[in-house]
Amino acid sequence: MPDTPADDDAQPAPDRPSVLVPLAVLEGESLPAGTPELLANARVVLLGYHVIPEQTAAEQAREQFGETAMSKLDEFAARLATAGADVETRLVFTHDRETTVDRLIYEHDCLAVLVPNSTEQVESVLVALRGTVGVGRNTRLVAGLFADAGVAVTLYHALDEGESRDDGEAFLNGVRSDLVERGVDPDRIETAVEEGGVPIDAIASRAESHDAVVMGETDPSVTTFVFGMPSEQVAERFLGPVLVVQRERPEA
Amino acid sequence: MDGSDPADASDAAPSPPDVEVPDALADVVDADTGEGELERTIGLVGGLAIGIGTMIGAGIFVFPGLAAENAGPAAAVSFAIGAVVALLVALPAAELATAMPRSGGGYFFISRGLGTAPGAVVGLGLWLGLVFASAFYLVGLGSYAGQVFLEAGIALPVDPAVPLGVAFGVGLTALSLFGTENTAALQNAIVIVLLVILTLFLSYGSLDALGVFGAESVPERFFPPGGALPVLQTAALVFTSYLGFAQVATVAGDIKEPSRNLPLAMVGSVVVVGVFYVVTIFVATSAFGSARLGEFGETAMVEVAREFVGFPGALAIVIAGLLATFSSANASILSASRAVYAVSRDDLIPEAASRINLAYGTPHVALGLAGGPIVALAATGQVELLAEVASFLHLVMYGLICVALVRLRRERPDWYAPAFRCPAGVAVAGVGGVASFALIAFMQPASIGVGVAIMVAAYGWYRYYATDVELRGDF
Repeated sequence: MPDTPADDDAQPAPDRPSVLVPLAVLEGESLPAGTPELLANARVVLLGYHVIPEQTAAEQAREQFGETAMSKLDEFAARLATAGADVETRLVFTHDRETTVDRLIYEHDCLAVLVPNSTEQVESVLVALRGTVGVGRNTRLVAGLFADAGVAVTLYHALDEGESRDDGEAFLNGVRSDLVERGVDPDRIETAVEEGGVPIDAIASRAESHDAVVMGETDPSVTTFVFGMPSEQVAERFLGPVLVVQRERPEA
Repeated sequence: MDGSDPADASDAAPSPPDVEVPDALADVVDADTGEGELERTIGLVGGLAIGIGTMIGAGIFVFPGLAAENAGPAAAVSFAIGAVVALLVALPAAELATAMPRSGGGYFFISRGLGTAPGAVVGLGLWLGLVFASAFYLVGLGSYAGQVFLEAGIALPVDPAVPLGVAFGVGLTALSLFGTENTAALQNAIVIVLLVILTLFLSYGSLDALGVFGAESVPERFFPPGGALPVLQTAALVFTSYLGFAQVATVAGDIKEPSRNLPLAMVGSVVVVGVFYVVTIFVATSAFGSARLGEFGETAMVEVAREFVGFPGALAIVIAGLLATFSSANASILSASRAVYAVSRDDLIPEAASRINLAYGTPHVALGLAGGPIVALAATGQVELLAEVASFLHLVMYGLICVALVRLRRERPDWYAPAFRCPAGVAVAGVGGVASFALIAFMQPASIGVGVAIMVAAYGWYRYYATDVELRGDF
């Protein structure tokens, strides 16, 4: 990658999962504590963005703030790279954050987007899994980030209606063996199946005993429009970093 | 543009595969030059909404009464003439916009195509032209707001149009200074609501005028007593209703896939509003005699609607008129501030004018330079003068856009590679240019005087402040 500082001797790791880290650089958002450790094994796409109101031409904002924003971003990139990540930085002036984030997920084929929150350490991770669809992307991310890092992984599944406890356990065991195949130490994987309830509450309260959460993205709907994306709600309550695994994006 | 490092620009990532087709031109303009890249967020619908939203307020909700008074039913021809002139300019302007999809619109094309002096005159003229246009829309908005009191049966001691217009001017300027809400979505919704109301109303009105619901209305003499002259004079007056397509070009830097969307939005919005205007005049003059319409003034359409469908119709048109003039005024204030930014970026006026307030992210100096004079001009309440001066300054720019196209087609500089080529470009631009300048000749002497004075002052400023700036072919 062209913009990668300080990765001269990093092996070309094809399995490094790419993670998008969006930061509103000019609004004082900085790289939260613990993020470099969390993403040490990732290919990080560090997105500095600045949302400008429609009254303002994007060019105008870039002219005035571009340099400041870029130097902050470079500073964050250096911290990530020192921890071991491959980093690529992008700085975008935009009228709409979602458009920009979505475009960059496509362009860099990102496996996950980080909701940046701080954490003191990265020792255990809660992985909330909904179902078999796209679960491979979760395991790729978890194995890629944490297999070599000695991080404890808890696989969690809330039962759907009509789904028995055995179904849930079988599902999580399948995921577990997939993770083991990908190099995660079997002793460090726990599984937890729970009766259905409000998944957001369940995830958020379970997350309290972990350092980070991995969960899937949800299709936009009226509910998500009113209450916000579940991943955002979890992040708000948990206050730690949340990795939101993205759906497979269709090819052109 | 600003000494970009070629090695850096070349590694701009490819466009997302299915979000939008890669636009080679947009990629070059937006490429990261070490200070970040730019996201384009306005699509075709947004572009059309800017064009239509800016224009429709004046042509339908302010001019019908004035135009019919001057030209009778032939005012429809005046609007048609305006549409043809606008189209003849919109096509060359679309070509230039796809070659230079940068904020600033007509000013940018002329300063790059013809040089700094014409650029400065047009750039400062565009700013003031939009200031005059906004003031005109504000008086229209004030008239409709005043109509609300009338409909509610509240008698006011003075005509509230001007005070209300001034109040709205202050409010809109403040809103654009501090508001960070998503106004684009609102603008799109307003335009859609407007088009629905107008389509229903005009379909009903047209059928009625043609005698479907009873007696066909007896058409009065089509041409006014003066013959063709009043029709042309009216065309010059109402040309303000066609200024919006150039506003699409002023936000060219924010438009996705500019090669495709810019020409479609510019030409499409002129065609849409042109059709609406002509039908509106037909319906209005078939409901009342031209003299009656003239007496109703700016809010004549409210009476037309009342004639057809009674109070609900009048109410619908009052609401539509408020929305339309509001969106026109708002769009013009924002465009005026963009025009200030464009000339300041090129050092034609002090850089301070384009400074952005970090807390709100808005260009507060530029917005103030737009909002202040707008409020002052709205206070004069001179609807026709404001409209004509706005048209004058825009027509000068349109004429020069055509000249710039002809010149660029002749000289073919390396950087000139438009993705959209205007069919029969030189001929269209030639006719468009001549027509633009010719329309000026039919304005009132006072308007021409104010317009010329502004141009002279702009040129004087250029001689005083910016003779060492060279913009031709500068990217």
